[in-house]
Amino acid sequence: MDYVIKFAEAFMNLFNTGATTFIGWMSGIVPVVLMLLIAMNTLIHLIGEERINKLAQASTKNPLLRYMILPYLGAFMLGNPTALSLGRFMPERLKPSYYASASYFCHTSSGVFPHINPGEVFIFLGIAEGISTLGLSTMPLAMRYMFVGLVMNFVSGWATDFTTKFVMKQQGIELSNELKM
Amino acid sequence: MAEYNAIKIVKGSGGFGGPLVVKPEEGKDKLVYITGGGAKPDIVDKIVELTGCEAVNGFKTSVPEKEIFLVIIDCGGTLRCGIYPQKRIPTINVMPVGKSGPMAKYIVEDIYVSAVGVNQISDANGEPVNAAAPGSTVLGSVSESKAPVEAKTEEKKDERQFKYSADKKVSQTMAEGNKGGIVTKIGMAAGKVINTFNQAARDAVQTMITSIIPFMGFVSLLIGLIQGSGFGDWFAKLLIPLAGTGIGLVILGFICSIPFLSVLLGPGAVMAQVIGTLIGVEIGKGNINPNLALPALFAINTQCACDFVPVGLGLAEAEPETVEVGVPAVLYSRFLTGVPRVIVGWIASVGMYV
Repeated sequence: MDYVIKFAEAFMNLFNTGATTFIGWMSGIVPVVLMLLIAMNTLIHLIGEERINKLAQASTKNPLLRYMILPYLGAFMLGNPTALSLGRFMPERLKPSYYASASYFCHTSSGVFPHINPGEVFIFLGIAEGISTLGLSTMPLAMRYMFVGLVMNFVSGWATDFTTKFVMKQQGIELSNELKM
Repeated sequence: MAEYNAIKIVKGSGGFGGPLVVKPEEGKDKLVYITGGGAKPDIVDKIVELTGCEAVNGFKTSVPEKEIFLVIIDCGGTLRCGIYPQKRIPTINVMPVGKSGPMAKYIVEDIYVSAVGVNQISDANGEPVNAAAPGSTVLGSVSESKAPVEAKTEEKKDERQFKYSADKKVSQTMAEGNKGGIVTKIGMAAGKVINTFNQAARDAVQTMITSIIPFMGFVSLLIGLIQGSGFGDWFAKLLIPLAGTGIGLVILGFICSIPFLSVLLGPGAVMAQVIGTLIGVEIGKGNINPNLALPALFAINTQCACDFVPVGLGLAEAEPETVEVGVPAVLYSRFLTGVPRVIVGWIASVGMYV
């Protein structure tokens, strides 16, 4: 009988541990993220997608604007995955590079601004949870994540310019460098 | 008799639905606006000017449904925004409101468009009314043109014809206030801001329910199973050598970024999120130095979005050749930049938590 009881206890313990974790997140993370999401959604609705599109068109010429500023703002304003659609203002040849950069931005900024990528925010939150357990603030981590991201995501987009050229040669496909609207 | 023109209405910022292309017709040329106690929105004048229709204040005058070709409302997401779509009358909502309220299911793109301002309305420029928005003109020639619509809509219509005939009475009291006073204008502006907030909250809660909370449940259960069963300690022993040192993280980042392996690790970022949570647990226990949290964030996600390339490029309206080139190009660049990202993250983590 003892064995059965022990087994049952151990079995329920699996779920109790999960439940404790879950309610901890529900009371700790959910309200804050919800408030942020609401505030950001409102801001974005008030600014409007139209103005972002205009900005996107203006940004295609310069690599720094194209793979750093635009995807950063795009991720902040439009979130994942809508930010990726700003790539439509690029010439065909640069679209993969914009994608490479913008998709990273949907993660690296999500520590500070969880509204960007709520579905995948646990990449950050999971690790940050450990920092909170130690009684430390997660903001230094979130800020550094964003700033390193800002630099390295640009590098990523820019490197894709070269890999695109490489693949074009490899496959014998020539992509247009002209912007067509 | 006046000449009628078709107009095209697209959704505004934060709006939903559309584009609608509508055209008034003989005997069906009434534009009814039922807004803010009878105040007249700017778009009414623009629509009248473009189409040559007749505008009617729905609060003051009752118009037989079959004469209405378009309705303008400023509903914040309760009842009114669903009533006309339910009857398949093309509806413009001035407020940025999507599918909401008790009649949310009738609010569909081909009959409803929201957050509409003056700039969202334009001449249809010969765009065919029927082709552009098949549903929107169904009521155009009343009973005959019902045929092309699927039987479903027809049934819905028939069922509900009688339910709703008393609406004007309720609102008439409000209309006594007349139009255009400064108080009404302030009220309407405030209403718009409030509604934007309200809709934002609705979207946010939706996101919470559909994506965040289910994931929390899933990960919590996983954590429970892992920790409760002792598997966690075993797995941590495996993970710590890799995640517990900078070099180990570089190796982890390298593995995740290997082309084609990266595609398998990508979907839903589930792998990254689960590993992240496990690393977080170990950091919390003190087994991993908190400074390594930064390079770890980069290491577990070097494969970021590799599985999503074709879809992402599709969102950017890329040509098929671009997708063909783009998929390997992104995989290669992820591979090239993956390890450097972890290293830079590692360097940048110096002095983060002392």
